[in-house]
Amino acid sequence: MKKIALIFVLMLVLMVADESASLPDAPGFTLKNADGSEICLDYLLKKGPVLMSFWALWCKMCIKELDALRPYTNGFDSLNITLLAISQDKARSIPQVKPFAKSHKWEYEVLLDPENIMRDLYNVQVMPTFFIIDQNKKIVFTHQGYKPGDEKIIIEKLRELYGQGKKPEE
Amino acid sequence: MKADDIKISGANRAEYWLFVDKDLDSLNYKEHLEDKLKLSVSYKDITLRGVLFLWNPSLSVRKKLNYFDYTATYQKDPVNLLYGRFYTTFGRGLVLNQFLDEDFRNDNSLYGIKGDIKYFNSQLTLLSGQPRNIFFEENEYKIKNDTTDQIRGANFETNLIPKTTLGGRYVRVNRTVDLTPKAFTELYGGNIGLTCGPFESYFEYARQWGCHQVIGGRLKGTGLFFSAGFAITGLGISFQYLDYDTIGFGGPGYRYNEPPTPIKSGISVNRGIDEKGFGGTVVTTPIDMITGEFSYNEVKTDDKRNGVTEGIIKLISHPKDNTELTGGIERIDKDSIELGITEKIEFKPYLDATYDFGWIYVEAGYEHNFISADTSDYYEYAISFAIGKAEAFVLSLRYERRNRIPKWLVNKLGDETNWPMAELSLDLTNRHSLRIRVGAEKGGLVCSGGVCRFEAPFKGVKMVLTSIF
Repeated sequence: MKKIALIFVLMLVLMVADESASLPDAPGFTLKNADGSEICLDYLLKKGPVLMSFWALWCKMCIKELDALRPYTNGFDSLNITLLAISQDKARSIPQVKPFAKSHKWEYEVLLDPENIMRDLYNVQVMPTFFIIDQNKKIVFTHQGYKPGDEKIIIEKLRELYGQGKKPEE
Repeated sequence: MKADDIKISGANRAEYWLFVDKDLDSLNYKEHLEDKLKLSVSYKDITLRGVLFLWNPSLSVRKKLNYFDYTATYQKDPVNLLYGRFYTTFGRGLVLNQFLDEDFRNDNSLYGIKGDIKYFNSQLTLLSGQPRNIFFEENEYKIKNDTTDQIRGANFETNLIPKTTLGGRYVRVNRTVDLTPKAFTELYGGNIGLTCGPFESYFEYARQWGCHQVIGGRLKGTGLFFSAGFAITGLGISFQYLDYDTIGFGGPGYRYNEPPTPIKSGISVNRGIDEKGFGGTVVTTPIDMITGEFSYNEVKTDDKRNGVTEGIIKLISHPKDNTELTGGIERIDKDSIELGITEKIEFKPYLDATYDFGWIYVEAGYEHNFISADTSDYYEYAISFAIGKAEAFVLSLRYERRNRIPKWLVNKLGDETNWPMAELSLDLTNRHSLRIRVGAEKGGLVCSGGVCRFEAPFKGVKMVLTSIF
């Protein structure tokens, strides 16, 4: 019991201590999209900020999050923001990823990560996890999990960071 | 070297259970403590990653498992070199599939060296390593393949021809149990993928040349996987066909390749030994407020004595912006899949409704599972309710009940018929979340990606704290 208490206390201390620290730099990556083209983070950041949502076909809440963000897609375009939907489905499920994304009318760039390299690179612990990466390649916002309404918090954060009068409109 | 050039990041997942063990009386609570700390340090093109895992069960008969895995990577286009523990899949996994399924606690890794080179829209991978499969079953972590097997392999993929992917791969497995130095196992194959507008297709063929363990003699196997897809905005159709004959390679409870199964609930018959099957899924959003999903999948042995057939109908509707209704029916037929049951049919209708008040949301659900297993007919139902606030918390309550217990089930899962459960999920901050679950779970067979495990019934408390930093 002592060990458990120690681990949880350690984590809570770490939590309070690191909350004030800035989030780390975004690791660079090149991944294939669902059409087979290579997409590079550095290239996307030249255009504007990058949003990333980690999802999978089996993850109900991940799909709900990406469905909930769908009405804001036009707003993302007007602010030069790219939303990457990074599929964590294994190689066996890849044939279903593109038809699923298209059927849900997602206009996002769907990237394939069958070996879950990105999950390791970005230390993703919970599905879905959402990241906002600014043009200086800094992770400026992270959110774990999804509950209805979380999409409004993400949009609010985007307005705060990049709005300057403009806002991601529906 | 500037301090700014060194980047450090990491994550931690701490898990603690306090529960009643099935073999003990309710006064003897047992513990399960697990922690996985991941740290990453990078400097320019070099990255060092470490994973410290600790599992400390209170039951003395269970051995604790502690390990430290590391990976050193040098990445500078067009080269990527890696030393340490890694995961990799060649093609769709017919030849080699070493993967990590963290949610299912199935860790198939290789320890060794791997190199990739990319040039002219082509990629060559070379690797050599020793496999390790850590698997969680009946509240216990086990190393399934405690062997000295060595894997060496090469994979080549190219997109030189527009809209076409070509690939070829080779894997050789050396085992100490092989009878003669020449009696190693080889797996090899190739694939072709074609894309044309909204259509795409993929075909992979693989062969195994191995040897029968202990008795000796050549063992030959083949595997074939075909998939096709059609995707336009609002409509997605996917189809798969597979035919495996002795392509699955590994040991009695593990595989070094893991060929795909078409079954969405993750069941396979014998993981690539003797399987034929197909699957088709149609997902459509004809109007923004309705999404429908229809799926039919089956996989059987050649003599059709063992097999799984699955049918899924699911409808999601948003009559208003703040309302979501989900309803569906799932049917699954299992022939000689579960131990001791010749035929099992499950038919499960369900309904789920979510209403978002803006400041808070509520969700309610009901599912009813009619089960017919050989001569026993019984049913299970579950009622659930959740209340949550965005970026704050979710409180879920679930009550599950089985109407009666067939005698054969008592031996496997005990005589419990009620499973109440409460779960509180808290967003402590954007980077830290805590989940506390109190109550009972019924246990049973759970599967993911063709791998199944028996989950023991659970009664107690589970706490999970996840952090990224």
